[in-house]
Amino acid sequence: MDIPYTVTARPDTGLYNAKVGIWLFLASEVMLFGGLFSAYIFLRVGADYHWPIHELNVQLGFINTVVLIASSVTVVMAWAFLKLRKFGMYQLMMAITVGCAAIFMVNKTLEYKAKFEHYSVKLTDGTILTGHLEHGYFVHFKDVNKLTLNVHLETAAIDADPVDYVLPYIEGEAPKFKTEAGDEIELNAASFAKLRSEAIDAMRKENENKQFQRDWTGTRNIVLTPVAPFKLKLPASSFFSYSDTNATFRDGTIAEGKLEDDRMTLDVDGIDVRSVADAEKSMAWEPDYLPAFKPVFIATRDHHQSEFKEKYPSRDPSKSATLQTESYFLKIHSANAEENMPGHEGAHSAEAQEPKEASGHEVTEAGGHAGGHHPVVVLKKKDISFFSNFTPKLNTYYAIYFTLTGLHGLHVVFGALVLLYFLVFNGKMMREDPEHLANRVEVGGLFWHFVDLVWIFLFPLLYLL
Amino acid sequence: MADNLEEIQKSVKKYLVIGGLLLLFTVITVWLSYVELPTHGMNIMVGMIVAAFKASLVALIFMHLNHEKKIIYKVLLFTVILVSVLFVLFYMTHGDPLVFEGFDKTSIKHH
Repeated sequence: MDIPYTVTARPDTGLYNAKVGIWLFLASEVMLFGGLFSAYIFLRVGADYHWPIHELNVQLGFINTVVLIASSVTVVMAWAFLKLRKFGMYQLMMAITVGCAAIFMVNKTLEYKAKFEHYSVKLTDGTILTGHLEHGYFVHFKDVNKLTLNVHLETAAIDADPVDYVLPYIEGEAPKFKTEAGDEIELNAASFAKLRSEAIDAMRKENENKQFQRDWTGTRNIVLTPVAPFKLKLPASSFFSYSDTNATFRDGTIAEGKLEDDRMTLDVDGIDVRSVADAEKSMAWEPDYLPAFKPVFIATRDHHQSEFKEKYPSRDPSKSATLQTESYFLKIHSANAEENMPGHEGAHSAEAQEPKEASGHEVTEAGGHAGGHHPVVVLKKKDISFFSNFTPKLNTYYAIYFTLTGLHGLHVVFGALVLLYFLVFNGKMMREDPEHLANRVEVGGLFWHFVDLVWIFLFPLLYLL
Repeated sequence: MADNLEEIQKSVKKYLVIGGLLLLFTVITVWLSYVELPTHGMNIMVGMIVAAFKASLVALIFMHLNHEKKIIYKVLLFTVILVSVLFVLFYMTHGDPLVFEGFDKTSIKHH
C-alpha cells in the first residue's frame, strides 16, 4: 500500500501527510516532557534538602549543548542542500549530524559513569561526605557456623535460594555442610533441590490430616552446619539486615557468626555541613575523622561570608544558595589540609584544572592516585545514616536528573538512528525522488530539533540553576 | 514552506547565523548562572527567559514555524494551553503547610 501525499500537498491541509503526522507526534512529546518538567518543579519546590546547583559537570554539559546546537544547524542544512540538489553536501551534513549525536552520547556515558562511581555518605548529624569507595564497601563476618534456610510450601516472594544468594559471598572455598539428618553434603543446586523437595514432602505429609487448606503450614527451616567455620564478605546489596551475630540474606537465609568489620573506607572529596545545626560541631571534625580540615572549613567559610558581605551588604547571606554552598560545602582537592586553605586556592587552581579537562579520565584514574589526592576516613557504621552512589535513589534531584536525561538520551539515539537510516538506505530515493527524501529529512529533522529544544531547557535547569 | 530555490539558498546562511546566536546565548546562560542576583529565584527566571528565547529561535527558524500552514498552529495551540496548565500546577502547593523559609540553620535544627 502506498501512503498518499508523500510529496505533493494534500488539498485540505495544504501539507504532505508526514508533516501533519510528525507535528501531532511532537505535540504528544511536548506533553510527555511537559509532565516530567512539571514533576521537576514539584520536586524542587518540595525538596527538604539543598537542591544541587552547579553540581554536575558544567563543562561537559556545555560541550553537549554546543554539540546539539551544531547538529541542529547541520540537519536543517542537510534538508536545504537536498532541496538544492547538492547531494554531496546533503550527505556530509547528515553524517555530521549523526556524528554529533554519537559525541553527545559518549559524553553522557562518561557523565553517568562518574556519577555511578561517586558516593554520598550521610552521617547521623546531617553531615554529608562525598567521595569514592576505592575498594567497595563490604560487611565482613567470621566464624560462621550455621545457615538457616527458610523453605515455603507454596510460591512465596522470598524463598530460600542459598546457591545464588549466599554461596557467592563466602570467602575462599565453600565448606561442606552437615544436614540435620547427619549427612555431609556439598551445597550446590542439585543438593539444595534435594533438601528442598524433602522439606516440601514433609510439609505435605503434615498437612494431609488437616481438613482445611487454611490450616496448612507452609514454611519450614532447614539448618545446615558447616564442617569448618567460614568467612563472609558481603556487599551492601547482598543482605536485608545484619547484627553482631547474624546476617539475613535477600533469600531469607540467616547466617550465624561473628561480625568482624563493617566500617567504611572513604576517599573524601567533599564535606557538606549545610544541614548540620552547628557546622563547627559536625561529626566530620571528630578526632577519628577529619579534624585537620576544620580550620580549613572555618577559614573558607569566613572568607566567602566576608566577601559576600562586602559585595552585597544589604542581602541576607542565609538566603543565598551559592554562598551556602561555597561556605558550608567544603570541596577537598588534596589530602594535605594546608593546601586546601582558601589562600592556596589561586596557586592550586591552575594545577587542579588540568585533570578536570578530561573529566572522564579523572575518575577512572582516581584509583591509582586517590591516596595522594584525597584524605581517607574510616567511618564507623553507627555514624552512617544513609549512603548511596549518585544514582536515582540518592535524592529526588538525581531521580529526576536521570529520568529526564535518560529519556532525552533515548530520543537522541532513536532520532540519530532514523537520520542514519535516511543517509545509508535512501540513496536510490535521493537520486530518483529527491523531493520525497527531502520531506523525510525534514520530518526527521523536526524531531531532531525537538530533541535539541528539550535540551535547551534541561541544561540550565539541571546543570546551572 | 519556502519552496522557492532562491529563498532556500539564502536560508542556508540564515541557519548558520541562528546557530551562532544559539551558541552565544548558551554562553550567556552559563555566565548568568554564576551572577549572584538578589534572589536565586531571579537567576532561575532569567535563565528560563533566555532558554525560552533560544527555544523560540529553534522552533521558528529551524522548525519553520515562522511560515507554516494553519493546521499546525491549531494543533500547537492546544498543546501550548495544556502544557501551560502542567507548569502552573505547582501553585496548588502554596496552600501546603510546608513553607520554605530560606537556608536558615535554626529552622532545620528543630525539624
